[in-house]
Amino acid sequence: MSDHSHSAHPPKLEYQPALPIPNGKLCLWLFLSTEIMFFAGLIGAYIVLRFGAPAWPSTHDVHLVELMGAINTAVLIGSSITVVLALEAAKQNNASLAKSWIVLTLVLGSVFLGVKAFEYRAKFSHGIYPGLPHSGIYESANVNYAAAVRLRVAELKNPLAAQEKRTEEEDAKIQVLDSIAAELDVAEKTLRDNPESPEGRVLLLRLADRIYPRASVHALQDGNMHDEREHLKIEDDQDPLEEEIEKAASAGTPLLTLASAETSHADAGHLIGLNDQYPWLKLPIMIPGGNTWASTYFLVTGFHAIHVIVGLIAFGLLCTQTLNAAYSGVIENVGLYWHFVDLVWIFLFPLLYLF
Amino acid sequence: MANLSHDPAHQSFDAADPHSAEHGHGGSTRTYVMVALALVFLTACSYWTYTPFWPFGDNLAIKRTWMMAVSCTKAMLVILFFMHLKWEANWKWVLTVPASMMSLLLVLALVPDVGRRMRGASRERMTHAAELSAPAAAGKSGTALHPAEHPAGEKH
Repeated sequence: MSDHSHSAHPPKLEYQPALPIPNGKLCLWLFLSTEIMFFAGLIGAYIVLRFGAPAWPSTHDVHLVELMGAINTAVLIGSSITVVLALEAAKQNNASLAKSWIVLTLVLGSVFLGVKAFEYRAKFSHGIYPGLPHSGIYESANVNYAAAVRLRVAELKNPLAAQEKRTEEEDAKIQVLDSIAAELDVAEKTLRDNPESPEGRVLLLRLADRIYPRASVHALQDGNMHDEREHLKIEDDQDPLEEEIEKAASAGTPLLTLASAETSHADAGHLIGLNDQYPWLKLPIMIPGGNTWASTYFLVTGFHAIHVIVGLIAFGLLCTQTLNAAYSGVIENVGLYWHFVDLVWIFLFPLLYLF
Repeated sequence: MANLSHDPAHQSFDAADPHSAEHGHGGSTRTYVMVALALVFLTACSYWTYTPFWPFGDNLAIKRTWMMAVSCTKAMLVILFFMHLKWEANWKWVLTVPASMMSLLLVLALVPDVGRRMRGASRERMTHAAELSAPAAAGKSGTALHPAEHPAGEKH
């Protein structure tokens, strides 16, 4: 055996790749397969939490604008086609055209992020955050909510009341705070004196509705909304008490006005409450299911936005290179990643905005 | 041991290699533009459910089925044409099918404990989670929790 190995030449080995694609592309696809599972976990969590929740806010309750989501979808689809065209141009060794398409992709991706930031701002300006300490969301108008409102009113009023000389504006602020405190007093007293009666809860709900009116409670007249009252789905127990309370609360809303063109476009079609009328108030708000919604919404869209940012960095790096045929493999890999980001948004858009 | 970086078989996949045209696959620019237009049209189809022109009223089941069907169609268009899987060899199944199955299983695994957590719960459990419901106090069926289990109220 040893003689044979000395006398004969070793066999010439030929490399056979396991898959008929370049290593870079294979790695990218392996990465994408892990990404599929990553986003499936996030989207799956959103789906099961949402459809298993006793209450879930409507899109207009949480200042989501469907049209902006649709526009963002179109922008992302536009950026996908520009990547494909960049790849085609690079394959034909047309570096300048390829770079132009990549720059356009970069611009469209930035537009997507800009619209997303605009949408986030609409949530933050209404106290909708994914968690403490900024989140002002309470799940129901109960005694805990009343205590939080009282605490905030005291926080605002005490420094003003301590001043010896006050401006007219400060006096007006105190008046607003006093009116809220008075309404709160009546509600809490009613609740304490007659805890079995729904009257106290109606008063608290009415106050919560004045602070932050929800579109799902007030049936908007424009008629182009989904069924907003999708909550408390219980089959065997049709206790009408909750609906009566909500109807009573919505009937007496003093500030039921549609947002006008003066407000930001991100708020179009939403109702104006005390927090909108007096932005300095920043009172706690009541949105049934709002905390879970905020957690899942910001988690899913936040991770998607991080992926968009990574893609934009990759496109930014590509812009510094000469995108000839030698770079078509890199463009293809970055493009695959970008199409996956587009793919995720294709499912997020209907789930978050239209369902 | 074969040198991977200089192996002729490996190099044949290099995009700069003129032979890569044999492995080059994909549609024409016209195909891609048509797919992009179809995607925008399908996005409008999803948005259609939100407009007053939607003919099936407020039936959420129809709306959601329609939107998911549209989304799946869009996803297939992106995967097949933009990600070139239409023209790839059979390796595509090796990487995509197991990942998709794992994703599906992951979601399904969440359904019993999380997705159906409120099924069968009393109305009190759903609306006053921090309070002791009357059926629970009376020892009847119902899953309302004792106040001590949720002393901090409902926030978070």
